Amino acid sequence: MLSRSIRYFSNSAIRAATQVAPPTLQDVVIIGGGPAGLSLLATLKNSPKTKHLNCTLIEGGSLDKVREFATNPPQEYTNRCVSITPKTIDYMKHKIGSWDFIHEDRIKEYQGIIAYDGQDADSRVEFDVNSIGKDNLAAMCENINIQASLLAKVESLGLEDTTTIKDNTKVVDIINPLTPDLENHDLNEIDEVPGTGKLDWPIIKLSTGESIQTRLLVGCDGYNSPVRKYAQIESRGWQYNTFGVVATVKLQYEDFRSVGWQRFLTTGPLAILPLSEDNATIVWSSTPELSEILVKVNKDIFPRLVTAAMVLEETDLKYIYGLLKENPDDLSAVEEIEWRMSKVPEVVLEERYPAAIVSVLDGSRARFPLKLSHADTYVAPRVALVGDAAHTIHPLAGQGLNMGQSDVIHLVEALEKGIDRGLDLGSTLVLESYVSNAWPANHAMLGICDKMHKLFSTDFYPLVLARGLGMKTVNFLSPVKDMMMKSISL
Amino acid sequence: MSHFNALASSWWDVNGPQRILHKMNLLRMDFIHSTIRENLKLNQHAQSEDDLVYIPPYNVDLLPKPIRDNIVGEIETRRDDLLSNAKYNVLDVGCGGGILSESMARLPFIGSVKGIDLSTDVLEAAKLHKLKDPMLATKLQYELSTIEELPEDKKYNIITMFEVLEHVDYPARVLIEGLKRLDVGGWLFISTINRDFISWFTTIFMGEYLLGIVPVGTHNLEKYINQTEIKEWLNESHERKESFRVADTKGCVYLPAYGWTFTSCPDVGNYFMAIQRAK
Repeated sequence: MLSRSIRYFSNSAIRAATQVAPPTLQDVVIIGGGPAGLSLLATLKNSPKTKHLNCTLIEGGSLDKVREFATNPPQEYTNRCVSITPKTIDYMKHKIGSWDFIHEDRIKEYQGIIAYDGQDADSRVEFDVNSIGKDNLAAMCENINIQASLLAKVESLGLEDTTTIKDNTKVVDIINPLTPDLENHDLNEIDEVPGTGKLDWPIIKLSTGESIQTRLLVGCDGYNSPVRKYAQIESRGWQYNTFGVVATVKLQYEDFRSVGWQRFLTTGPLAILPLSEDNATIVWSSTPELSEILVKVNKDIFPRLVTAAMVLEETDLKYIYGLLKENPDDLSAVEEIEWRMSKVPEVVLEERYPAAIVSVLDGSRARFPLKLSHADTYVAPRVALVGDAAHTIHPLAGQGLNMGQSDVIHLVEALEKGIDRGLDLGSTLVLESYVSNAWPANHAMLGICDKMHKLFSTDFYPLVLARGLGMKTVNFLSPVKDMMMKSISL
Repeated sequence: MSHFNALASSWWDVNGPQRILHKMNLLRMDFIHSTIRENLKLNQHAQSEDDLVYIPPYNVDLLPKPIRDNIVGEIETRRDDLLSNAKYNVLDVGCGGGILSESMARLPFIGSVKGIDLSTDVLEAAKLHKLKDPMLATKLQYELSTIEELPEDKKYNIITMFEVLEHVDYPARVLIEGLKRLDVGGWLFISTINRDFISWFTTIFMGEYLLGIVPVGTHNLEKYINQTEIKEWLNESHERKESFRVADTKGCVYLPAYGWTFTSCPDVGNYFMAIQRAK
């Protein structure tokens, strides 16, 4: 009897609780306020066909810094920079309309890439965008610059009644109403809740205590995507056992060549990419051990180490890494570097290598694990995945953000078509075309970057010879080079 | 009718046995939407000379791109404006589980949709499924009724009869009832199947016997109607010829692993037809 009354009490308490705060209904809920999530929101709100949709974006962190950046950007560069392709820029200009809000003075367009082998500096490919009749291969841009422009665009549209952005808000749980939590509820109870029991829309419980029930849930929530887990979509891939180290640096002088440099070391590719004036950003993929050294090493040694790593032989570099592993502040390493660099003729240094790095911005060094992953599909009933939630890629071709943007393009196209056809936007009939348009190209790009990484991470001599021959051949064969350039810039 | 009752339970599973019908609905909606959009009278309500949209009497693709884009952009904007002010009412005859009715009701320029059918079971499935989308609650109603039983003085802007005529004994009667209830400028959208070998092969041999997509006996080749027969029938009576015009006829075919697509030949297999009441 006692247990019955407790059960009765708990049921009515649940009913009371649910009735006090019934879930808000939305058409689209976007989880994640990174470039992918904000792009999706801005594109939906800027499209005449989808702007009437009730959209909510949920971000766990704070967007204050992003807002602040729009009106009052800091003097120095932030450390997360991305390469954006002309296609992405075109999309931001015409489809999202967010380019008007970007700080263009902080964007550096570059016209080529010079990539060379760590084992043999003569094995090099020089990509020059002029040969395919374009002005720019890509542009370097801070992540936060993109986010700020997107957020400013959304806020400029004045569609407050259909647009909600909740930052500092975490997703506590995502519930599928079709498979209720049998331990705490019983089916009858759930069906009795007016207006919700019949809907098969996912319910998102937030850390603020609110809950939202949505026609379509879009996960822009990164590699560990809770939305992907909710939808039970398998993601396959592997860790590279490699870490990417990023930093913002100052060059000896502004390099008017406007090219990106990439050296394929056996420990992973090291890239120096131009920012405006004498600034540059580096991405150094390296072994876990080396990446730790790179983050710890004295800030006066680090710039010289990066300069040297673009030029010196790997045996020399290994010796210097050894010194710095023992003592990250070992200034004798600088002497070792200087002495070895002095053996390289100055003309060669100037013509064949990037400008020397003179300093690193305080606090700009960071490392993160690199991995490849690709979800089996990007959609499930009432769920779509975009950006890193769907795929993560090796940064060696600078394609990560652009793939996310291309996801947004394809998803919005699918939704616009769904609106024209009067379909329920959560239906797989609408979402299927997003997968069939976005997945194959992403898969090819993931595969290519993966093979590049593997091909260059070996010093097995026959392979070094073969890839050297390959690079030299490619460098001669302009049509092949043009094709490769188009595939990374368009 | 029992065939349709048997289908009711799985009607709304888009990956289930009715997937082919759900996919066909995509093409139906493309046909309806584009026909309405392209046939809007752009300058009908223009107040002054400045209000007129320029409609070139030649192919705009002949013009330099910026000028072409400008003209096309202006026309499309006018179409958006006209549609955003429209609230058409729709009668969906033979609505079944409501696949087309729901899609029509979600379109922003549709004010209300009435779906009628003769099978209680599929209507039950339709009504249940309607509850799964709150935006349909006020726009969409279902009724167990024949078209003859509906009041004649109630006119509709759009009447749809998709995959209906090949299942009734006297298609001409159903067509007449539909045409009677069209408002001036309104549209009757129909689809049915040409009476030929290809149709027999795809809809009866493959659809019913080999693949079992629909129960055996759903179709009857004798009831199929050639598209030319409908056009001839419209021209038979002087009154019909004066009041109605066939704006478009499109053939369509199902390609496995792709879906439905329009063909350039409306004389073979399945086809859609748009009939407009001119006056």
